[in-house]
Amino acid sequence: MAGSPLLEALVSLPLDLLRGLVRFLRRLSTNKPGFVGFLGLLLYFFATFIMPGSVEFDNEPKLDQITGPIGSRIQLAVHRDNPQWDSLEALAGRTVGVVDQTGGPSFIEPYKEQFTVETYRWTSRRQGPGILAALTDLANQEIDALLIFSKTVSQVIDKQEDEELRGRFQDHILISNPSLGQPHLLGTDTQGRDIASHMVHGGQILILTALIGGVIGTLIALFFGSLSALVGGFIDKFFTALANLFLAIPQFILLVVLAGTIRFDSTLYLGVIIGFLIWPALLRAIRAQVLSLRERDFVEAARSLGLSMNHIIFREILPNMSSYVLINLIFSITIAMYFQIGLVVLGLAPISDYTWGVMIYFGRSRGTLYNQDGATMALAPVLAIALFQVCLVLFARAVEEVFDPRLRSAA
Amino acid sequence: MSDLSPETVLRVDDLSIVYRTDRGDVRATNNVSFDLKRGEAMALIGESGSGKTTISLALIRKLPKNAVVTNGHILYQHKNKVQDVLGLSRRQLRGFRWNDCAMVFQGAQNAFNPVLKIRKQFEDTARAHGWTDKDAIRKRALSLLELVRLDPERVYESFPHELSGGMKQRTLLALGVLLNPQVVILDEPTTALDILTQRAIIDVLNDMQRQLLFSIIFISHDLSLAAEMADTVATVYAGEIVEIGGVDDIFYRSLHPYTYGLLTSVPTLDHAQDVLQSIPGSPPNLIAPPSGCKFHPRCSFASDQCQVEGPLLELGRETHLAACWHKDRLLASRKEVV
Amino acid sequence: MLNDQQPLATNRQLPATNMSLMAAQLYDSLLKIYRNYTVRVFLQAIITIWAVMTLTFVLVRLMPGNPVDVLVEQILTNEGISYQEAYERVAASFNIDSDATPLDQYFQWLGDLLRLDLGISITSPGTKVIDEIARFLPWTVFAVGSGLLISFVLGIFAGMPMAYYRGSKLDHILSFFSSFSTGVPNYIWGLLIIIVPGIAWRWFDIGALRGTYDAGLTPGLNAEFILSALEHAALPVFTYVIAILGTWMLSMKSSTTGVLNEDYVNVAEARGLKERTVISSYVGRNAALPLFTQLTISIGFVLSSGVVVEEIFVYWGIGHHLFQSITVRDYTSLQGVVLLLTAAIVFSNLFADLTYGLLDPRVRVSGEK
Repeated sequence: MAGSPLLEALVSLPLDLLRGLVRFLRRLSTNKPGFVGFLGLLLYFFATFIMPGSVEFDNEPKLDQITGPIGSRIQLAVHRDNPQWDSLEALAGRTVGVVDQTGGPSFIEPYKEQFTVETYRWTSRRQGPGILAALTDLANQEIDALLIFSKTVSQVIDKQEDEELRGRFQDHILISNPSLGQPHLLGTDTQGRDIASHMVHGGQILILTALIGGVIGTLIALFFGSLSALVGGFIDKFFTALANLFLAIPQFILLVVLAGTIRFDSTLYLGVIIGFLIWPALLRAIRAQVLSLRERDFVEAARSLGLSMNHIIFREILPNMSSYVLINLIFSITIAMYFQIGLVVLGLAPISDYTWGVMIYFGRSRGTLYNQDGATMALAPVLAIALFQVCLVLFARAVEEVFDPRLRSAA
Repeated sequence: MSDLSPETVLRVDDLSIVYRTDRGDVRATNNVSFDLKRGEAMALIGESGSGKTTISLALIRKLPKNAVVTNGHILYQHKNKVQDVLGLSRRQLRGFRWNDCAMVFQGAQNAFNPVLKIRKQFEDTARAHGWTDKDAIRKRALSLLELVRLDPERVYESFPHELSGGMKQRTLLALGVLLNPQVVILDEPTTALDILTQRAIIDVLNDMQRQLLFSIIFISHDLSLAAEMADTVATVYAGEIVEIGGVDDIFYRSLHPYTYGLLTSVPTLDHAQDVLQSIPGSPPNLIAPPSGCKFHPRCSFASDQCQVEGPLLELGRETHLAACWHKDRLLASRKEVV
Repeated sequence: MLNDQQPLATNRQLPATNMSLMAAQLYDSLLKIYRNYTVRVFLQAIITIWAVMTLTFVLVRLMPGNPVDVLVEQILTNEGISYQEAYERVAASFNIDSDATPLDQYFQWLGDLLRLDLGISITSPGTKVIDEIARFLPWTVFAVGSGLLISFVLGIFAGMPMAYYRGSKLDHILSFFSSFSTGVPNYIWGLLIIIVPGIAWRWFDIGALRGTYDAGLTPGLNAEFILSALEHAALPVFTYVIAILGTWMLSMKSSTTGVLNEDYVNVAEARGLKERTVISSYVGRNAALPLFTQLTISIGFVLSSGVVVEEIFVYWGIGHHLFQSITVRDYTSLQGVVLLLTAAIVFSNLFADLTYGLLDPRVRVSGEK
């Protein structure tokens, strides 16, 4: 039957792939850190590409929940005489105190015209006179409400050593607000939005961008690196010189300057530009690898057997380079990640996509990063990026150790 | 332990060494015993992987990490004092190495630290063994370099890469005897060198031994070299000494088929041969060695007895020992040939 | 004959024998290569810098939508003066002689650069770009330099035991740490340091550590100023150290692993040398050699990778200056900083090429790596 070879191929190809994957995993499992890295990457894939389908991006500003610590909510403290002031609407026209090193000021920004705002500085380490002054003013009804994190305020009140003061706070201040929403896993950001949902949605574009940058950079390097090594002569000289010239220009600086002058409008477009920036070092590495492979015995043997150049490149050289290329690809992904998030943190990349990088940028520019209770907004993406990079590196190292024939024979 | 005769400098007594590997224990050395006399030159001959190098490394306790000495002693006698090399403390061992027993490794190409001058490396060695006077070290080193027929002043102030291969080998020889050791182990001292340089090295060695009166243990698969240099020859097969005796006994009246096979597989100038024969088969697997005599699968004299029972190293004639059930048959067959 | 004295490869006093004559020729040609090599790396460095300068010239002046045109446009709309006047003003900042042809401008600009005249800052008129760089650069050099050196020394000391005890628990722990160190971007380390010990544990007041020294102090050789400068640099330096350390550890580990397999180490042990001697002058010295080249090469790269770190810690170094120049679009400053950082990379490469011979005697003769 004419169709049978095709059919066979159709059946056997996935089987072969599956078998290859199983073999790959079995060999990888001999390297514990590498396996952990691999599992971590799978987890990241799941969290950033699958989970967004079931977790909704919380884009609704909730004014009663701003930059809270893990599991907590920002709350309103009012005088016991006025329990009815349980929302900002109800407070219109009153005097509201905020402590300037919490999320309060940025929260109250859009309402500034409706209240009289009294600002307090949080001066000392934990229970500075600023917060005490604020509470005292509230107890004395000099201000009508205080906007602050509930957890911290209860601590300040309960741990107050001055008994008279403590008594006064306990008698006069009401800091519970039962109408507030549910606590959030990672707390809320400056607009009261759930950070956990942003974490789920904020990785996909970053990872895709890094992938695009890494793949483009590797492809350019692979193509021109192999070309210069295989053809040699003028082409080799030209590309080596070009790579050296580009290496002399600090690439990240170049990217920063480009971003500062051109302004990218899409994150993915940024990936393409990064890909076109990171190839020189890769090109040199791949060129060296092809050169050394070309001198190997088996390539010599293939050449003396009169096999065509195509055969030598695609059957002898490339398969022997696959693990090397994979390692280089992974490392270029980490570099692309470094570049793009660096740009975002500086505020030079598009912030229209709400990525982990943008979360850090806002964490810095809105000051929550410097606030003990609001730091999750920056800490969560910082940790996510750090662990992603570590997983990549662990995985690349494992591939290097387990699959790179050069290292294996040396061991 | 004290039954060592005064002229014995080194006694290896029933030494067994095992390499622990993932695939099993490699029995690299089995119940090896021999005596080395003052001023004697002994050659260990045998194929690659037979265990010659393991024995020599054990003498200075420089075995790889996975090696375990399972049995035996190595006794060293100097100035009427006998010590067991295997029982030395780290400190004692450091003192023993090079000062009492020096080893000239094969491949002297990389034996010197590339970033230090030869002078520094001589000084390092001497200072590690308590010499303090730089001038005394220099004087001694220069005289030794002269002895190995190098231009002493120039070599002494050179970096290793400025010397040729033969020069490095000779420099290493000079360094080997710097501290006047009693025993010098030479591991394939001429292998990587061209034939003329080999010649020069042998001459130098002979000269040096005559003047400095040390004992030599000499590892080689170059039989002509062994014939020329050695007083005593020991044949090593599968980690065992299968034959040991005076150089003439071994070369002209060998009592072990393996030694005989080695001799007939090499063309020598000393005694011309019409037919070159190689030993059939390959060296045995030391993880699971053959039963009985380990040579029997490759031996043309092998009988049923050989498969079951390993022969002991027994006196064949005077000081000539061999481990073979069929010494007489071998001798008889040789007479027909010669 | 066989035992004739063989001449040394580098022979200064040559007896007139045939063999020595060959050696003399060899020595001469090697010397020639060495000289050529030096000349070659110098030429390469100069050509690279020239290429980057030319590229900058073209980008800034001749490309459509270039900064000169943009600035002229800006001044025109803001101040309503004549085009000629606006152009003259911008041209003065960029060191452009507006009457000259582009080619003349180019050569004049090159000449100015050679005299380190990088033009005048656009946003703060009257300040020379080179003066601004001179104000910010030392802080970066100080912070990056200390970070690089500290991590280098630590990396060498941590990498050696990793190689000595390969496969041990120590090796695994240190390898795991190095994966963290190399994988996590330096600015992410910086943010972690700010958030966790800084904000959460309040070990230090990050707000008070802005800048390069406490306000109100006069720079000089007094204890107060030096202490303050050290205090302000501590966090960036720590960040650099932790972010670069892993690379040094791994390099040192693999280099040491290679050296441990070398015959000369084995021979050194057989020679009964003290363990200390073997570790320091046999293993350590040889293993660290290739790392010195890496160190000199990395100077240029780290100088430029500090932009985000300096921005995060608000440390007023060249990276911070660069970022400020970008945000206010001060193109002349920008051009100056980029040229300077490029020059730093090129010269650190050159320095690496030329100094390697001082460390490795094998290169002294042949001049080849």
